[in-house]
Amino acid sequence: MAVLTQKKPTTILEKLNDETWRRKFLRNVIIPWIFIAPLLLLHIYVVTIPAVQGIYMSMTDWKGVGQNANFVGLDNYRELFFEDETFGKALGNNIIWMIFFLTVPFILALFAATMLSQIKRGGMVYRSILFIPYVLASVVTITIWKNLLNPQRGVGAALAEMGIQGFDIAYLGRPETALMSIAFIDNWHFWGFLMILFLAAMQSIPPVLYDAAKIDGANRWDEFRHVTLPGIRPVVLFMFMMVAIWSFLAFDYIFLSTQGGPGGASEVIATLLYKNAFFRFEAGYGAAMGVVISIFAGFIIMIFVTLRRRGWDI
Amino acid sequence: MKQFKIFFAVAVLILALAPVGAQDVTTVSMWFSEGSTLDCWGPLMLEFNEVDPSIQLEIVPQADTWNVTRTAVAGGGGPDIVRTPGPSFVYEMAQAGLILPMDAFADEMGWGDFFFDWALDLGLVDGQLYSLSDELETLVMYYNVEVFEEHGWTPPDTMDELNALAEEVEAAGLTVFSHGNASWRPTNEHFVGEYWTQVAGPHKVYQALSGEIPWTDESLVEAIELLDAHMQAGWYGGGVDLYFTNDGVYRRTSLAEGSAAMNIEGSWAIRGTVDYFGESGQTWDWVPVPSHDGTDYFTIGMGNTSSINANSPHPEAAAQFLTWYFSPETQGKMLTNCLKGPAPVAIGEDVLGALDPRIARIYAALSDASANDRYGYTTWTFWPPKSDVYIYEEIERVWTGEITAMEYSQGLQELFAEELEAGDIPPIPTR
Repeated sequence: MAVLTQKKPTTILEKLNDETWRRKFLRNVIIPWIFIAPLLLLHIYVVTIPAVQGIYMSMTDWKGVGQNANFVGLDNYRELFFEDETFGKALGNNIIWMIFFLTVPFILALFAATMLSQIKRGGMVYRSILFIPYVLASVVTITIWKNLLNPQRGVGAALAEMGIQGFDIAYLGRPETALMSIAFIDNWHFWGFLMILFLAAMQSIPPVLYDAAKIDGANRWDEFRHVTLPGIRPVVLFMFMMVAIWSFLAFDYIFLSTQGGPGGASEVIATLLYKNAFFRFEAGYGAAMGVVISIFAGFIIMIFVTLRRRGWDI
Repeated sequence: MKQFKIFFAVAVLILALAPVGAQDVTTVSMWFSEGSTLDCWGPLMLEFNEVDPSIQLEIVPQADTWNVTRTAVAGGGGPDIVRTPGPSFVYEMAQAGLILPMDAFADEMGWGDFFFDWALDLGLVDGQLYSLSDELETLVMYYNVEVFEEHGWTPPDTMDELNALAEEVEAAGLTVFSHGNASWRPTNEHFVGEYWTQVAGPHKVYQALSGEIPWTDESLVEAIELLDAHMQAGWYGGGVDLYFTNDGVYRRTSLAEGSAAMNIEGSWAIRGTVDYFGESGQTWDWVPVPSHDGTDYFTIGMGNTSSINANSPHPEAAAQFLTWYFSPETQGKMLTNCLKGPAPVAIGEDVLGALDPRIARIYAALSDASANDRYGYTTWTFWPPKSDVYIYEEIERVWTGEITAMEYSQGLQELFAEELEAGDIPPIPTR
């Protein structure tokens, strides 16, 4: 009995002559690339090329005006890390900012999401109320809070009039409170978003797991620790990574409220970058700061990729 | 068929007329910040279109004019008229070949006939004229007349008199100066520049700007120490921390309503002062900022400059607009109608006579000071960019007790020396 066998093409020539192989190649390789090509070209044009240019500019003394840029090697980076005290201070503030945003909004959001997940009726109203600040423009949020925190016409002043003293202080005007006050404002706008994400993740946990936990005698805390947290862990860890990256990009709330003041107390790398590039005409130096921010972001991503490769469910 | 004929005839007519229209009218574009200033300036500037119908001005409102302009100009585009926030910005653009030298236009159109000599010099880069300065500015001390009359105070001439008066103002439960930087952080530099000028004197400042003496000179450091002492005493806005949170509305209302007695601010604030005092029903007036020896010194500044884009297809038309715009007649009209700070041109006395006498007095005093060697320098006009940013950013570290006045001055000296050596100092009128 004869057995029909088809010889698999091995060489390039054989592959090109093989109709089946050609069809497969077209379907699996060419067509997907054709579909993605417009987006890819756009990405190369608006992201990749400017990014490469940015890296090159960070090694020049470009002033941000005209084409005159002299190559200075790593001088900008040397100045950043070994000479510029304000950069060190700004980096320190970014780290404080990151620690704040990796704790306070996460705790608030987890707590609120856990509470809201128990509400059967009217939950949407609460969710909407807590989420509204997230959709407000930063300039609106800052204007509201600058007035609320104003020692002469804000909440502190109102409390003082009622006889409750000690809160009518210039929160944004004191070096020791400025950064944390802005972080508080930014968090007011941000944590509702985190809460919605966590709530959505919690709602995808099969109820049967909670029933099983109850049968095993778990209380509410046990349920949270052994069912809820493992169930939403991928979302929490992903947001940990994103928030850590976003912490190095913090700009608008700080610039709109104090512009890094008073006396550099709320200066972060992004505000310093902006001032160097646009006020001091040191665009090359500003580009070096931008590259450093990208390196920090890359480092954070690398940590998460490594953990994922080691089997973490991220 | 009939419809086709009509369509054909219209199309031919349009095609025939379009090139004629395009050839006859040259459009000169100018980008301008959106807002109330444009609302008042815009219609007046567009009156140019009636002067010569072959050149039409087009004003394009922008949200962030300077940053948009320099990005566009660097990319080979942008408006025909390039406006910058001051002479120090012109230097960078001229070096990069982004704006045109205008010496030929100045000669041809007689700009030297109406601009003050020193004002044209401000636009020189490597000996060539690249910009025309606009919005002549100075700082004065505004005060609330009713508050002064009520307490029997007289405006101070000297720093000693100011010290004595400030004690009385505080004893009366009022704020000495209605100030704060929450709306505009570079406000800080107004006071640094004023104290240098009024305490050390404009000649010392000129010497430091020329590199003859360092910024660590005793008299200049003393000025910073005095400013810090006044800041720590709560003269500015009621306290250092309050100064950092007081905004522009506070500044205007507290003076106009009488909870503050005085305010050291620029001539650009006249319009706001007039409006807020109009609402409160009280009266404002001004005196020169008190100096150490009682001499009336006035710092000179420029709010912005105008140049011609190197990529402009019709620089001649742009120059014609500039000639019209900077003429004493146009500047006088804008001063009268919008209280715009005039360009440094010889405005007729009849124009000043039509103004509120208090406002006219500011420009007369400034003119007198510049003619009699009593003028000083505003930091945003005459300091190079890095030093300028240092002046208003780092002074906060003095006020918050992080560094001393001497350390502040040493830092400035290091930075200024670098910029001086690099030739980045804007043109300084010689004394």
